[in-house]
Amino acid sequence: MRPSQSARQSVPRADVVVIGAGLAGLSCAAELAEAGASVFVAAKGLATTHWTHGGLDVAAPAAARTSRDGIARLARTDGHPYSRLARDADAAVSRHLVRVGAAGLDHAGSLATALAPFPTAIGALRRAAIVPLAQAAALEPWRVTGLVLVGIRGFPDAWPEYAARNLENAAWPDGPSGIRAVEVAVPGVERLRNVGSQDLARLFDDPAWRGRALAAIAAALPPGDWRVGMPAVLGVEHHAAAHADAEAAFGRRVFEVPSLPPSVPGMRLFDALRRRILASAGRVQIGFDVVSVEREGRHVIAIHTEAASRTLRLAANAFVLATGGIAGAGIRALPDGGLVERVFGLPVVGPEQASWFSDDPLMPHPLEAAGIEVDEQLAPAGLENVRVIGSALAGMRYLDERCGDGVALASAHRAARSLGAPRAVAA
Amino acid sequence: MTFHDAAAREFPPYSTDACVKCNVCTTVCPVARVTDAFPGPKYVGPQAERFRGPDVGDASPDRTVDLCSGCGICTRACPHGVLIAETNNRARAAIVADRGSSFRNRLISDTDLMIRAGTPLAPLANFGLQNRMARWMGEKVLGVHRRGPLAKFSRTTFGSWWRRRGGLTALPSDAEPSKTIVYFHGCAVNGFEPDLGRDAVAILERNGFTVVVPRQECCGLPFISNGLYETARRKAGRNLSSLAAFARAGSRIVGTSTSCTHALKAEYREMLDLSDADATAVADATWDICELLVDLHDRGQLDVGFAPIVEPLPYHPPCQLKSHGIGTPAMDLFGLVPGLRAIDSDHDCCGAAGTYGLKVERWQIAQDVGAPLFAKVRASGAARAACDSETCRWQIESSTGVPTVHPITILAESYRRADAAREEPWRRIV
Repeated sequence: MRPSQSARQSVPRADVVVIGAGLAGLSCAAELAEAGASVFVAAKGLATTHWTHGGLDVAAPAAARTSRDGIARLARTDGHPYSRLARDADAAVSRHLVRVGAAGLDHAGSLATALAPFPTAIGALRRAAIVPLAQAAALEPWRVTGLVLVGIRGFPDAWPEYAARNLENAAWPDGPSGIRAVEVAVPGVERLRNVGSQDLARLFDDPAWRGRALAAIAAALPPGDWRVGMPAVLGVEHHAAAHADAEAAFGRRVFEVPSLPPSVPGMRLFDALRRRILASAGRVQIGFDVVSVEREGRHVIAIHTEAASRTLRLAANAFVLATGGIAGAGIRALPDGGLVERVFGLPVVGPEQASWFSDDPLMPHPLEAAGIEVDEQLAPAGLENVRVIGSALAGMRYLDERCGDGVALASAHRAARSLGAPRAVAA
Repeated sequence: MTFHDAAAREFPPYSTDACVKCNVCTTVCPVARVTDAFPGPKYVGPQAERFRGPDVGDASPDRTVDLCSGCGICTRACPHGVLIAETNNRARAAIVADRGSSFRNRLISDTDLMIRAGTPLAPLANFGLQNRMARWMGEKVLGVHRRGPLAKFSRTTFGSWWRRRGGLTALPSDAEPSKTIVYFHGCAVNGFEPDLGRDAVAILERNGFTVVVPRQECCGLPFISNGLYETARRKAGRNLSSLAAFARAGSRIVGTSTSCTHALKAEYREMLDLSDADATAVADATWDICELLVDLHDRGQLDVGFAPIVEPLPYHPPCQLKSHGIGTPAMDLFGLVPGLRAIDSDHDCCGAAGTYGLKVERWQIAQDVGAPLFAKVRASGAARAACDSETCRWQIESSTGVPTVHPITILAESYRRADAAREEPWRRIV
């Protein structure tokens, strides 16, 4: 940051400034804004919504049967965020599903739904229970139904053949009766030079093109009792219609298989939450990197975000830190083994540097558990009007435990309540 | 701040090391959204940058970087702080330095020259700009699209109005620098929209400032956007030597074009490597006019005697404003005008991107980028729209038929109505 002069422009004071625009930050901001608080979301950039599968990983440690069971197991782990947040998960998840449903993004499943294998883009299986409606057919009982994975010629980020072979060799109890792959030429796409999932999704938003493409795919499907796995490109703005049209055109159940980043289901989730915040008069600003903090003792008065030649001062009564963990760049590892939290400089607990390196690059990294320790209200030590939510919290191994989204929502809900959201809801 | 951040701020392409190839930038790029010819910010930015270098000249692996419109949305969306748009702009400049530039690009960048040539002949020049035959010729000979949004020349420049008015061009000896504003009018106000400049001066004076308009020329941004860094540096150098003394004395430099003010604040440093004491002093002293007015309001120093303007007003925050990192101060100001129902367009880019939308080979891309915005503006049924940046205003206006003004025009009108109501109280009931 360049030295700035004393004069600084500010925007109208907000009740709460939320720092970070991932699932945790956006859902906390939405809950506060819906309750009548004035909310300003300031994020350095777009976040993990755009990288992940768009479903909700609430809790799926190895032995868990349902998400609720998973939460209970993780809550018994010393220092795990769920040891504090378990009781918030129910309300948080159901509020979230209602919220994004109202923005046109319906889901299937609940905390009581049995965790079931969901096929990934490379043909591995991950356990899931709460998914967007367009992914739900993958979790329904298969019995005698087969799975046909569809690829689109010219689209380099889905490999149905490869995924199908891997799935044939995977242990998929009660899985499909057979697995096939087809690759289909859809109108115009083969001629394109640059085809990302977001490009295809925008094509699928167009009803005329969609009709032709779905007809081409339908013609390539084998006869019989199949369910169709499509790359997750069935529209962004008109996704529900695109999914319904696909099921109608194929005469079969259709589910989306999330692809490599960028994630179209994640883009839809981001859009839905952002729309909810804007509809409640909240503001969302992307590209606002926090560079300094004004505090008076234990109280944060304002944050300053980087601007073209001076910082922008954002004053508020309370601040929510939703900047993510090591993967979301909310926490940084230094060459000397130190770990720093980027906004407030909060102390980070995490593994010793000696454990950062291993011979197995595919193992979950121990630094994912690094994070901030907080009290019951999710306030970090030393700062009374700050709440820490999402994967900035210490103590979870979200890749193994598949709990990142549930912790994000539960902590967002707890933080919103502790900052006064329920009072305003009642009013 | 780490060493890496510091280094990247000195030389933006260093920041590309932080790219994790997540493609977030590709999802938000308005150009990649509408044309398959542009592979997107990740490919032409952090990917291609690995093959570029100071000794490689224009051996850029992919010249499609020239399709980047420079809107800067990718930089703001990047979760890892990669200065993508800035890197792309430098890559284009390296290509231009090696291979040269077209006559067309030099011509449409040179707004100072256009105004010198066009103003004395305003009626004739404007006839040419409106004439279909002349525009057709312009497209065939020059490569300026026949429907590219061009403003009409004013018959007098803002500069000549200021001289006739006897306006200050230097700090008077008794001036209090902190109460003195240096107005950077930019080419648009000077040659095409002098009324906006007069409104800006009226608003600044009403709020207690003495306004000075020193010698200035085009900020150089059109040259920067077209990769013509050497010409841009010459213009920047002359502006800096004219403006730096005011900045050092403690006066603020205020502009009505978010593009010019962003050039003074950021692009001189990020693109042109101008980071000496003059450039830093000017960057720190430069304010967008709405940014300044909101700051005054925060301090309780803004005259808030705004008279009602009862109308819906679609407002488009331009990309250059977003790059200031100051939010949307015009929206906050609109909130002070009773009856004004400002609606944020919530659309990324109008497509114009300075001179981009004028070029015959880019015009359709620019139209497609802005299409959802144009539809929103038309659907609003509003009598006019607002936007802080001139080429965006012209693009919105020419593509929608809805007159599009600077937020300052609205605020000045509201102040004038308040004055009129004071003088003629019967007007209040109208």
